[in-house]
Amino acid sequence: MISLPGLHSSAVPAQPTEFTSTVAATRTQDLAANTEYRFEVSFSRTLTIKVLSGTAEFFGTELGPSTTYSFKGTKGAVYTWHGCRLEISGDAESEYVAEETMMMSYANAHFALEGLRDKAVQRGELGPRVLVIGPENAGKTSVVKVLTAYAVKSGRQPVVVNLDPRQAMLSVPGSFTAAAFSSIVDVEDGWGSSPISGPSPVPVKMPLVYHYGLANPEEGKLFKPLVTRMALAVTSRLEEDKVSRPAGFIIDSPGAISQGKGGFYDNIEHIVSEFSVNVLFVLGSERLYSDLTRKYSNRPPEDSISVIRLDKSGGCVDRDEVYMKQLRQAQIRSYFFGSGGDNALAPYSQMADFDDLNLFKTIDASEENSNFRSGDDGDGMYGSSAEIYERIAPASIIQNSLLAVTTSTANEKQDIIRDSSVRGYLYVADVDETKKKVRLLSPQPGQTPSNAIVYGTFPEDIPGLLT
Amino acid sequence: MSLTSDEVAADFKDALLDLKVNSRPEISNLTIIAKENTEHAEAISRELENHIRTIRPEWKLPALYVLDSIVKNVGTPYTVYLGRNLYRTFMDAYTLMDPGNRRAMEGLLRTWKQPVPESLDKRPVFDSNVTRDIENALIKFRTVAQQALSQRQVLPHGLPPRPQTNPMANGPWRNTPTPPQNMPRYAAPNDPRIRQPFPSTPQYGQYPVSATPPIQYPAPISSVDLENLKAELSKIITNTKTAWALSPSDVSIQTKLKALLDLETVLKTQTLPPQQLEAVRNQIQALSPSPAPLPFYAPPPSIAPAVPTPQQAAPFPPASTPVNIAQLLASIKPPPTPQQSSTPTISTPSLADMLRRVSTPTQASSTPTAMPPFFAPPFSAPPQAAPSLPQAAPPPAPTPVADLASLLAQFTKPAGTPAVAHAPPPQPAPLPQFPPPQIGAPPASGAPDWLLNALKAMPNLPVGNMPIQTPPIGSEPMTRQVSATATASSGIELTTASMKQPRLHLVSRLYEAYPNLCATCGRRFESTPQGREKKARHMDWHFKVKDPDAAKRGIHRSWYIGEKEWIEYREVDEAAPEQNVNGNGGPVAAAKKDPKDKYVPVPADTTLAHAPCPICQEKFDPTWNVEANDFVWMDALKVNGKIYHATCWEEYSKGSGIVAPSTPDSVLGKRKAELASPASGKKVRAF
Repeated sequence: MISLPGLHSSAVPAQPTEFTSTVAATRTQDLAANTEYRFEVSFSRTLTIKVLSGTAEFFGTELGPSTTYSFKGTKGAVYTWHGCRLEISGDAESEYVAEETMMMSYANAHFALEGLRDKAVQRGELGPRVLVIGPENAGKTSVVKVLTAYAVKSGRQPVVVNLDPRQAMLSVPGSFTAAAFSSIVDVEDGWGSSPISGPSPVPVKMPLVYHYGLANPEEGKLFKPLVTRMALAVTSRLEEDKVSRPAGFIIDSPGAISQGKGGFYDNIEHIVSEFSVNVLFVLGSERLYSDLTRKYSNRPPEDSISVIRLDKSGGCVDRDEVYMKQLRQAQIRSYFFGSGGDNALAPYSQMADFDDLNLFKTIDASEENSNFRSGDDGDGMYGSSAEIYERIAPASIIQNSLLAVTTSTANEKQDIIRDSSVRGYLYVADVDETKKKVRLLSPQPGQTPSNAIVYGTFPEDIPGLLT
Repeated sequence: MSLTSDEVAADFKDALLDLKVNSRPEISNLTIIAKENTEHAEAISRELENHIRTIRPEWKLPALYVLDSIVKNVGTPYTVYLGRNLYRTFMDAYTLMDPGNRRAMEGLLRTWKQPVPESLDKRPVFDSNVTRDIENALIKFRTVAQQALSQRQVLPHGLPPRPQTNPMANGPWRNTPTPPQNMPRYAAPNDPRIRQPFPSTPQYGQYPVSATPPIQYPAPISSVDLENLKAELSKIITNTKTAWALSPSDVSIQTKLKALLDLETVLKTQTLPPQQLEAVRNQIQALSPSPAPLPFYAPPPSIAPAVPTPQQAAPFPPASTPVNIAQLLASIKPPPTPQQSSTPTISTPSLADMLRRVSTPTQASSTPTAMPPFFAPPFSAPPQAAPSLPQAAPPPAPTPVADLASLLAQFTKPAGTPAVAHAPPPQPAPLPQFPPPQIGAPPASGAPDWLLNALKAMPNLPVGNMPIQTPPIGSEPMTRQVSATATASSGIELTTASMKQPRLHLVSRLYEAYPNLCATCGRRFESTPQGREKKARHMDWHFKVKDPDAAKRGIHRSWYIGEKEWIEYREVDEAAPEQNVNGNGGPVAAAKKDPKDKYVPVPADTTLAHAPCPICQEKFDPTWNVEANDFVWMDALKVNGKIYHATCWEEYSKGSGIVAPSTPDSVLGKRKAELASPASGKKVRAF
């Protein structure tokens, strides 16, 4: 067995290394009804919030009154419908109470969807198929979270689909995931956790993961086929899953697809048609709303699409690339090491020969010519003939990068590798070109998988994951 | 950064001086300046007030829109500074304006009494004290103007003065379910602040259009014959199709057809509450070439609340935006915010009036209702920009009247009335195809008004004997808006406008409906026996997963499941009764009996973890077990610190008569709820 006993000690660096001993003053914050406390905490600090009285929710998920929630590297808001008193301690980069929030709109959106779900239950149909679109930093994920949390609260079990490679859901960045939510959305840790080999204080979610491996949706070989694949899986699941079916699904999307070229939104249209989306929430952008309203207004009534504009919340802050990078690293770290605290995970470090790895490198078409290719020739661009990956030998270039272990064998055709879901991710800790050995960090012990392993350009290298 | 207030104010003033038309970019620009310089709010407010006071009357409206935009988009402290002199600012401008602009101003005022449409803050834009004073002044002003008008010309449509009903009822009441926001709206008539140019007169009660009863009661459910309705509709559709076939390039027909088809879909697919059906029926009847449409208008009050919140309150959308009746209907919803009887002076303009207004399009006489002001009067917008305006502008606030009326108006388009200057089809330029005769009509007096306007748009109707004013509106029972909300609440319409309506009462479905709160994670349960059982299981689950030793056991991330497994996977609710949905065999009870289904968690202890079964010397394979939320060895059981294959142990123990221990239910202990069968409810503790 090549695997070394787990890097138990490495689990500790997941803890804040620059832990500040300053015991920040604990303060109480009263929130009037329908207001929210917005805060930003850096990755090196921790802010804790406890509800002393009243009710409070974090992106739709109610906070338990006896739990102290701690936030790190978070830009979030605690909203209250009824008013509450919070006990807050720790350092926030910024914090304020906002009286104008969009929560009523989002709640209305939820109740409107509930109406559709009630109908779906009566008729045994598939519930609302929701797509949330909008530019970057418009609060798409927040809306998806609120809608999910409220649906869960209402006893539904919606499937949530993340198609935004920049922001992971239940996995690492660069992946597309889908999961049915039957339990509460995690408050402290993004969406929550995928299964681990032990108990989890918040019920784990069971995601289906595909590897995308690029930062932005391109047109052609990867994004659309994966959307198609994901749609197939989700609709197949909902075909059979009687609990989730009436709840429908909610799709989170990358901001990039909302930047249409001359009112042409190829990727949005693709998602809409593949998932048979019937409710489109447009966040913020009036132009996008107007373009899509026009586009989808002439559909036959039986598959009409409601295009609804939701206003961008004033709490949306621009997240700069530095923050996003930190966030991605935190998500990757949390994949291997857990989200810190009591949930520390112990990944395994193992050595593998170069020959053990069946590495496929994603050909990033966006680097070459995607900017010049208009969307209209996107269809038919991806076929089994197109080159999606190139087979590479391990080299120092893959050091510090993430490798996606697919469920496909290495001998399959490229499009099958592309369409196969992901078992998990490996981290390349070290490449020794002279000895032709790679040191890998694997989430769990075992042989280095002989499956096809995909190396993409995104997420970027994470140097020092092990230090 | 270090600019002084004076400098900022001067900058702002410069920018203001350029604003001579209602230009959205300029207004937003000014708003942004204001927003970025809130520390100089006082100076900016002063500058703005001065500007509004001093510029030429025809430029005042855009400047007022700036004010409006600032107070709505920036809010405090501007609301405070501008609120101080708002009465003066507003009334000074109002008195100098022409009627069209006055109406726009009234529209503005209406929105100021409401919360900012996109905000959850239920407080009105301006304090009710501020708006109330202006309102009182306006009422008087209008009364005077009306008197003057009625002397000059016989009432435009032969409207007899409304019989004196309860004068108070004609006040600025609104028919909304929302709690009062500026309740003591009726200031003493001799409010000192009200200026003398508006002599107080007791006659304001005669104002027909402003008459809305304070409270409306549920209307008797109208027995609308749905089938007839559909038949009628399909007849109209057929007619329209024919018309369209004749002139396929006529966008208006196309639009109309689309709207009708939408309407048909709504009727077919949705069960509309009676009030909405009523509205639909009226609309259809208005459309149908029925020789006697008049009688149907007789009982308009009962439809009042059903008048929808329009999607495009602006002049009728250009060809590129098909009218979506479905959306209109969908948004049929009571205006949530207070409405006012700000009946304009010429609230019932004659056709001539309308004509005049159309022929002078610069007059911003469009619907200044509750939309963001910059969208409202696209008249002044350059034609090429026009088409995008209305559709890009989801009116955040309700103006129930505008659209149905204009819809109706469009449908009933008379052949040659120039007033209804229908555009040559493909040409987007004459955007304001229809002079919105309903402009000043306050939503509160919705039904009579839009019907009235719709009727007016039918030139061949004998307007003189319109029955519209015959029922004393104040005394007619009306559908209370709350009931409309209640019926529709199960299906909130999926429209942009509908999303913005405050429906705080619905939030109880997320909270009060599930009163039983888990203090640890915030999950809620119903207060039913089932809910309590669920919660008990949930608490057990919490107890189970709280494993202080978990970290020491070397927990790691599991591989994700494959596509096929995921499709077949069913979520396990930790609070749901135990059931093996994910392929762990039959029901729990049976599973426990079969040694193959016994399992133990994979031990953390490495020697134990690598030890084979002492009986058969074979190793164990870890598998994920959902029930245990852990990786386990199946077909295994632990006896005296050693782990055996359950099947091996069973064979061994059969001989020696040792009782096999059962599979531990959890890492730490037993689960209350699981042990408690439904029959032994005593064990289920209520939390």
